Amino acid sequence: MNWRRVLRNVFGPIVSLAAVIGIWQAIIVWGHVASYIAPRPLVALQAITSNWSILWPLTSWTIKETVYGLVAGAVIGVVFGVIMAKVPLLARTVYPVLIMSQAIPIVALALPLVLILGFSLMPKVVIVAWIVFFPVTVNLLDGLNNVDKDLLTLARVLGASRLKTFFVIEVPGAITPLFSGLKIGATYAVTGAIIAELAASSGSSLAEYQRAQAGQLNAAGVYGTTILMTAIGISWFLLMLGAEYMATPWRRRSVARRGWRSGKQKLQ
Amino acid sequence: MKHLVLRSALVSAVIASSGLVAVGLSANAQAAGTATGPTGSLTMSAPLTTVKFVYDFPGPDMELIPIVVGQDQGFYAAAGLKVNTLFPASTSSTSAMLATGAGNVGFITTSDMADAVAAKVPLESIANYSMTNNWTIFAKPGSKLTAADLKGKKIFSWGDTWTQTMLGFVLKHAGLSASQVTIVTASNDTPLLMDGKIDFDTSTTNYAVPAIQGADNGAKPVMFTGAQIGVPNIPIWVYAVTKAYAAAHPATAKAFLAATLKATKWAIANPAAAVNDFVKMYPNSGYSKAYSTTGWNLTIPLLKNAAGKFFVQTDAQWATLDQGMIATKQLKSAPAPSTYYTNAFIPAQ
Repeated sequence: MNWRRVLRNVFGPIVSLAAVIGIWQAIIVWGHVASYIAPRPLVALQAITSNWSILWPLTSWTIKETVYGLVAGAVIGVVFGVIMAKVPLLARTVYPVLIMSQAIPIVALALPLVLILGFSLMPKVVIVAWIVFFPVTVNLLDGLNNVDKDLLTLARVLGASRLKTFFVIEVPGAITPLFSGLKIGATYAVTGAIIAELAASSGSSLAEYQRAQAGQLNAAGVYGTTILMTAIGISWFLLMLGAEYMATPWRRRSVARRGWRSGKQKLQ
Repeated sequence: MKHLVLRSALVSAVIASSGLVAVGLSANAQAAGTATGPTGSLTMSAPLTTVKFVYDFPGPDMELIPIVVGQDQGFYAAAGLKVNTLFPASTSSTSAMLATGAGNVGFITTSDMADAVAAKVPLESIANYSMTNNWTIFAKPGSKLTAADLKGKKIFSWGDTWTQTMLGFVLKHAGLSASQVTIVTASNDTPLLMDGKIDFDTSTTNYAVPAIQGADNGAKPVMFTGAQIGVPNIPIWVYAVTKAYAAAHPATAKAFLAATLKATKWAIANPAAAVNDFVKMYPNSGYSKAYSTTGWNLTIPLLKNAAGKFFVQTDAQWATLDQGMIATKQLKSAPAPSTYYTNAFIPAQ
């Protein structure tokens, strides 16, 4: 195991996280900030552990909203990105509408969605997907439009079919921007879910719980809920990071896989 | 023609300059202690004391009318006060703004006050705004639903502490548990009610009635209120300050309430003019004049108690509130009612 690499990848984030917590603690202590304005980090964490039986069902519901919304948004984003890259006329026609879709305040969308879809999971999933699909589409479109032209020419010269060229050259070429979009979308997914929960919920939700804590001036409860929401966002980001790691072996390997070298992965 | 245009432009420029000078003089005069009295005449008085008034909602609405009238008709200036209205970022921020000194006098619900005291926020209620409870359960106009039909129904809640407390009373009265109804929270209630997405709405009459009437060509909603649904008749909103502010500025607190009382009485006697003042001061509030007029007319009967007194608080109102908040697990214990309030700053009536 490369310990220097592990240290570089793990130690850095731990130090920065510790610094954030340290600064937070210092502001509360040295600034004599009252507990009803902002809690100390440990008190906020205790607000999670001591109310875990209430918070876990709410958190798992929010996780469900983000998973469904993230998957739906990613699929829609990829479909839009590919179609727009392949049909430039469609791209020119649809792009302004996509930009417009992101300029609409989500809060304004929430109520009509509830009126149409009710208080089920569906309006929340739609809102999360609405937020997620755009960075995926834009990044994938940019990635596909900026694949090395020489490689495409080479594939054509070698007689590769359009489908083969797409999967062997264009997809790997666009995968890094695609994952950039997915990482942005994954991080924002929880924001979308919380906005959706605030817009309309039947029964309890994490956002409603947080609002109730704010109403009771329970800053520890508010910050604790915020930590949970942040943890969900970070988890999805890390998951995407892991998926990117698995999907881009050439970043870690300068030599082609054995199968490739033995000629199994020919262009035709 | 050109000459006329030029002369017209010159005259306009002179008038505009004069206006600017007048505004500047006025501002200087105000800073120096010149105040406009309730009659509109300029009077020389002591320097004005600034009071930062924090509302309970992120934007203005008709319940702000007494404050607006106090500002616009000169009641505060005559009392030596310059009242600046601030709007919180959220409905739960007012108490925190008072506690941090961002505001001096706040407008909050009594349940917010109880939560603040429970959270050891050093607040003190100095007067009731409303004296009676107009929190109501609504069904859409023409609905056949009754107060006995709550079981299994979708009931809207704003998610605030007052609604939670009142719903606790309602469910207890109906012999239902929280799991036997579906509580729906959303950013807007009226469209959900009118569209049938919820069975019952919960709000106060002065906000919900004009909204529902506006959405349904003036049709009156079906309403269930008071003893009919087991809700106690206790005040909803109060004026609050920090204990430190009350101790350090007792004269200002008294002057504020005295001027607010005069403004409230004026707004009751002149409802149309009071609404005009509100519309003039907040033309972009988002509420129509019709909404504000209906809302204010529904607010007026709430402002006096059975003895015809404004502002006066009682131990009983706070004790009853505590019972409801303990029952809904919003409070763990009930402090002495006197912990919450003082009537010391209320003017003689």
